[in-house]
Amino acid sequence: MPNLKDIQRRIASVKKTQQITRAMRMVAGAKLRRAQDTSTAAKPYAEKMRATLLEVGRVQKDAEHPLLKPHEQVRRVEFIIVTSDRGLCGAYNNNTLKLALQSISECEAAGCEVLITTAGKKARDFFRTRRPNQMGEHFAQDGWVTYGQASEIGRLVSARFTAGEIDEAHLVYSEFFSAMTQTPRADRLLPFTAEDDGSESLAFEIEPNATALLATLVPKAVDVEIYKALLENQTGEHAARMAAMESATRNTEELVDSLTLQFNRARQAAITRELVEIVSGAEAL
Amino acid sequence: MPFQLTIVTPQGSIFDGPVENVVLPGSEGDFGVLESHERLLAPLRIGNVEIHEAGEITYAAIADGFAQVDGDQVVVLVESCEVDGDLDVARAQLAHDRAEQGLSELGADADEKRRAEFEAALERARNRLTVAKRG
Repeated sequence: MPNLKDIQRRIASVKKTQQITRAMRMVAGAKLRRAQDTSTAAKPYAEKMRATLLEVGRVQKDAEHPLLKPHEQVRRVEFIIVTSDRGLCGAYNNNTLKLALQSISECEAAGCEVLITTAGKKARDFFRTRRPNQMGEHFAQDGWVTYGQASEIGRLVSARFTAGEIDEAHLVYSEFFSAMTQTPRADRLLPFTAEDDGSESLAFEIEPNATALLATLVPKAVDVEIYKALLENQTGEHAARMAAMESATRNTEELVDSLTLQFNRARQAAITRELVEIVSGAEAL
Repeated sequence: MPFQLTIVTPQGSIFDGPVENVVLPGSEGDFGVLESHERLLAPLRIGNVEIHEAGEITYAAIADGFAQVDGDQVVVLVESCEVDGDLDVARAQLAHDRAEQGLSELGADADEKRRAEFEAALERARNRLTVAKRG
């Protein structure tokens, strides 16, 4: 029989936890909205970029850029794994990490050397213990994702690809669909390919020439791709945290209910016992 | 006849409106765009954009990117763009000083990449300051 004081103490402690989870839910909600706004703002740029890249490819089929050319043999593959810095967001990061680990294993089974680059503390901590010898750079995400962070990653990876240190680069991150669904995905980043949406060529005049344009265009397109992944991940993180905190708050409510019931029962039992003691004491007189 | 000018950055659209004339800093030299310009794709360098709208001239500082000219529409895709008026002069000056100091602290045997980074930062800051002075 738990004593009344103990139950009371537990109720108080669960309620405090509830305060925290409820506050975190609200903070995550506000951040989710902001993250979604940032994502929306970045969309036109990414779309125009892709359209232009396609256009250049159509106007001048033979235009070349080192980041577009597949390497003949794929020996070394770099994985860029994007997760959040913080936890308390359910299975969100684990899903991404599981997919990353699976892709890496597949790649290694095919006889490739793997280099791991991480963005987000969760990915770093996960792979630091599992693959300590394959770790490349880590990019902290402190605060809100900026385009500068993405282009820093892009510059490094592109340089390695051009220098032939790696033959392929893959990007593993979580795609944000809605507040309820985020799906991890792994995309090939390099060699870079623009998805053809089948729209018609507008026959642009290119100045000074297609190769020079590609030289500025392609690295930016790679940066945008990374920026998009970082943003998707950021949005997903807050959405996942909101959902996790929502269910945590619900769980504490249930726990408080059942503890209150237990407390009332114990209190009633104590009263009954005292009454019985008084009555039997009176009878004994 | 005005045509539509849109300046898009990863942070969102910075400028979107009808203009009469726009001068862009192309990688091969500045070029002006009037209405019904031929379709053109051109890379841009770090520099100033001159926007003529309704008799007034607005200046904007851009980082490198490229422009897509399409008849009645001009789309400028750049990594960053600051229109005069929204431009934070103090911040630009700070960035300028920081880059200059960084450059002077680098020794002769310094890493080429670091030097290039500082030089690019210095150029961007100078560019922003120029816009602030012109406006």
